[in-house]
Amino acid sequence: MRTFLAGARIQLQFFRAYPDALIPFITAPLYAVIFQMIFHHAGRQDLTGYAAIAPVFIALWWMALFISGWTITTDRWNGTIEMLVAAPASFAAVIFGRITATTLAGVVSFVEIWVVARAFGTKIPVEHVWPFIAIIIVTLAAMAGTATAMASLYVLARNAATFGNSASFPFYVLGGILVPVSVLPHWVRPLSSVVFLSWSADLLRAALRPEPMHDFAFRLGMVGVLGACGLVAGLWAMRVILQRVRGNGELGTT
Amino acid sequence: MRNLVANARVAWYAVVSGAYDYWSIYTLKSWIFGWCVRMISQVSFFALIGKLLQSDAQTEFFLVGNAVAVAAFGAMFAMNMTANERGNGTLSLLLASPSKPVVVFASRGVYVMADGVFSALLGLFILGPAFGLHFPFPRVLAVIPLTLLVGISAYCFSTTLAGVIIRYREGTGLIVNASIVTLLTLCGVNVPVSFYPTWLEWISRCLPITNGLEAIRGVINGSAWSTIAAHAGAEVLVGSAWLTLALTTFGIFMRAGQRDGSLEYAS
Repeated sequence: MRTFLAGARIQLQFFRAYPDALIPFITAPLYAVIFQMIFHHAGRQDLTGYAAIAPVFIALWWMALFISGWTITTDRWNGTIEMLVAAPASFAAVIFGRITATTLAGVVSFVEIWVVARAFGTKIPVEHVWPFIAIIIVTLAAMAGTATAMASLYVLARNAATFGNSASFPFYVLGGILVPVSVLPHWVRPLSSVVFLSWSADLLRAALRPEPMHDFAFRLGMVGVLGACGLVAGLWAMRVILQRVRGNGELGTT
Repeated sequence: MRNLVANARVAWYAVVSGAYDYWSIYTLKSWIFGWCVRMISQVSFFALIGKLLQSDAQTEFFLVGNAVAVAAFGAMFAMNMTANERGNGTLSLLLASPSKPVVVFASRGVYVMADGVFSALLGLFILGPAFGLHFPFPRVLAVIPLTLLVGISAYCFSTTLAGVIIRYREGTGLIVNASIVTLLTLCGVNVPVSFYPTWLEWISRCLPITNGLEAIRGVINGSAWSTIAAHAGAEVLVGSAWLTLALTTFGIFMRAGQRDGSLEYAS
């Protein structure tokens, strides 16, 4: 646990040192403005809840892709990975601590986006408060799990980083973060069902509506299970990476 | 005349060098399955909002706006080339050379801008029919030079910001990304410019994309050619103004960096 917290602490210090880490906190409110403008212009104030949910996912996903995803790679570039691996503390705990800190920082975007909505004169009432909180917690955990998988894959497969850089909008579409999956063509929907964002976004939108939430436990469970799959895949890949680079002496190779 | 030829030669080498840089980032495979898929998804993401609103007119508005915006994004990504020059430690050599750094910086990212324009057109002409839009032929061919105009205009804007990046390199990612989403917000990409308050509409008209995009929408919607020409002329004016500003301010940022020695840092 101490190792995990130490990883989280160092990550928060990185936030202060690198302005790039602040990108989602600048872009997410701007996306919120865009979506609010679209729905206000179309006279569809009933959809402003959608406009509030989507930028949060954009911020969280961006952090998973571009900050958490690069955690191990930047350690290699900085030449700190050898010391990290040689230390008696768990390597995975440090990395997961850093990723968790990054993911939790993403919560700031919730506040920003609610402020933008207020600026547009929109109230976004949360009709199902406790389910809403549960969805947020499980979504953040799933995001951290997915980010762990990315962090490992970026190191394991050289091309993964290039593809990872492009994995923003394809997942926004598949995850139905603004436009529900039900609007997508039929052939896309099976793909969406294995993206945890789609379950999570649907649930969050449902939590804003007064109607009862159907199959809540199952849908929330799907978010958790898919996130856990990411975490397991990430931890497995991390073990493979460490075994491989220890064997071939390429630990610090950039 | 000799100066012009010398500058053209420097610009050409900078373009080629930028192209090599770009293709060291992307292979054909990663360009198609990485960049292209991302770009198609980005335009689809917004076009699908039109489907959510159950409005074909809105779908067309979002699709055209966001496809054309891709041309500007390419131009904005070119700013990263400036940071690379500094990160690679070649900036001091460039400063020591007798050529003007602004010529190099204004040319190095041309390839990225051209790629952005190509991607924008690809997005427009692939996704348009996929979303059931019918573009009037041969009138629609006018969209090609107009998209190029938007790309060039955005590139002039990007070169101005590149001067700022020279000064504050650590903020490169922040400046590039914030600029892109700001343009997406303010340039009439997702709502008509008339939706903004008047003061914001004026700001919008001074930014790249806005006027060129209106010209492109005019071509597709069958507006009079005189109206289209007026919008295109406004885009030329805006691009020229940003280029002038870039040429004026670049030297100031460079000299400031030389004075305090901050240009030397490599990443």
